[in-house]
Amino acid sequence: MSEVAQAGVHGFRQVDEVVWELGVEARADMRVPARVFADRDLISQIAADRSLEQLRNVATLPGITGAALAMPDIHQGYGFPVGGVAATEPPDGVVSPGGVGYDINCGVRLLALPVAARELGSRAEALVHEISRRVPVGAGHGGGLQLRGPAFDRLLVQGPRILLAEHGVGTAEDVEHTESDGCLDGADPATVSERARARGADQLGTLGSGNHFLEVQRVARILDRSAADVFGLREEQVAVLIHSGSRGFGHQVCSDYVRAMDAVQARYRIRLPDRELACAPLSSPEGRRYLAAMACAANFAWGNRAVLAHRVRESVARILGARVADETRQVYDVAHNVAKLETYHGRELCVHRKGATRAFPAGSLEIPSAFRAVGQPVFIPGSMGTSSFVLVGRPGAMERSFGTTCHGAGRRMSRTGARRQVTGVELRRQLEAQGIVVRCPSNRGLAEEAPFAYKDVERVVAVVERAGLAGRVAQLVPIGVVKG
Amino acid sequence: MEIEARTEGEVFRDALHGIGELLAGDAAGERIWREVRVDGRERAALLVGWLDELVYLAGTEDLVPEDAERVDFSGRGLVATVRCHRGSPRHLIKAATYHRLAFERSAQGFRARVVLDV
Repeated sequence: MSEVAQAGVHGFRQVDEVVWELGVEARADMRVPARVFADRDLISQIAADRSLEQLRNVATLPGITGAALAMPDIHQGYGFPVGGVAATEPPDGVVSPGGVGYDINCGVRLLALPVAARELGSRAEALVHEISRRVPVGAGHGGGLQLRGPAFDRLLVQGPRILLAEHGVGTAEDVEHTESDGCLDGADPATVSERARARGADQLGTLGSGNHFLEVQRVARILDRSAADVFGLREEQVAVLIHSGSRGFGHQVCSDYVRAMDAVQARYRIRLPDRELACAPLSSPEGRRYLAAMACAANFAWGNRAVLAHRVRESVARILGARVADETRQVYDVAHNVAKLETYHGRELCVHRKGATRAFPAGSLEIPSAFRAVGQPVFIPGSMGTSSFVLVGRPGAMERSFGTTCHGAGRRMSRTGARRQVTGVELRRQLEAQGIVVRCPSNRGLAEEAPFAYKDVERVVAVVERAGLAGRVAQLVPIGVVKG
Repeated sequence: MEIEARTEGEVFRDALHGIGELLAGDAAGERIWREVRVDGRERAALLVGWLDELVYLAGTEDLVPEDAERVDFSGRGLVATVRCHRGSPRHLIKAATYHRLAFERSAQGFRARVVLDV
């Protein structure tokens, strides 16, 4: 065993090739161990920020079971680390809005076009440009589909299926090929503030800023042919990856409930090492109201990505023709910021995934029948200019990580740090030199998302594969990117 | 955002100035006064609520805060009159968080820390 493994990293000791653990005895207030999936190189990078301390804090949540888990793309978040997973058991186990994050149901949707990259050829730039014209980016508003009053409430309760029924957005297959059919049960619009409605009403169909993006990609490599066949992916195919969430609506829901729960910590005799972990028992009025409001935000986010996919299809129709748009299929849509009630070994648990993706294996009744023979598709965006991966859920996820895998490359440098190292103009030039079309109104925003600000996505994906959480299916490389 | 000030009111006023600087865009339109109310007793949570109010005004009405002409604390919370201008605020800030939140007395008066979600 190496020196690092013996000495540990911030007290975490290597327990197998890709698992590091801090025992429950490490701190008096920990209720379960803290466990990280990482190789030696990644654990060293992870130790550079406060994420391991944050994971220890998560291990103190009332009712947490198993272990506080971290995926290899973990990095420092607000209270709860990004890349963290916590399962709590009702009725006394808690739900924590900070364990879901501000961008409720931030997630990724993959569309597969019926054309090869060589057929796209010189029209690539036109396609990226057309998408950038049709999709509002940045932190503003105006997505072109404004819903008010009862129509907005129906979206909050039913998700994208109502957009299909009432506005002709998407297809029945799109809805079916969405995690939870794009609809979390229990959504109650009465639990959502007027303020959240005001922030979200005209943001449906907007991409947002920060790390949100829309990328035209080429399938560079198929790594699991049978799963790729089931997912409808083949080498050289053009695909579009959409990464966005619940916009200002979800942020407001999270802010409202962090504040509401912070105010009742004493009532439930909860003591926390970080107020951002504010929580309440799942069975309490505050816990139930948060779950109902969070479901509204999750359903809104799936609606948002449905409208974004609709805009992509409109762009494809204009540049490549109506037939290509009609035959553009949604592979799947996965959430990576959400809390869900799931059953493990006969126990119903509330699984918080913040910057982590559900990865159910073959045979799960929770995934579309089309995928049941191989497992659930999972999408892992790389950093700008690098590869993204399509994975498939594996049985190890059910045994080791509450059915969860990673969600991306994971930051290793702050936004300010990235801006110190490269300007947006320089980065734009570098990406264009690689043949990648870039549409981003903000040079500052572009610099903050520089590839070197992230961990190596190939290494992250290799860890979850070695841990048996998910397997690689396809590697995708960027053709063009639209960013906020 | 880290603030040191002589009085509690100055902490809130300085926080407003910090947010105003971060949000300010190029355009400065008509001047508008808004009464802002935040419920609660505990100062740290009030500060988060205060910043969230200012971020909300910028996000929904394009109002950039310039100054707080009155900040009154009562048993129920704070009431302030905020002078703003309508403009094109940069929507950099999404929320004020409770992460590593602090509001405490210091030798100079008061010290506060709020982490903003950007």
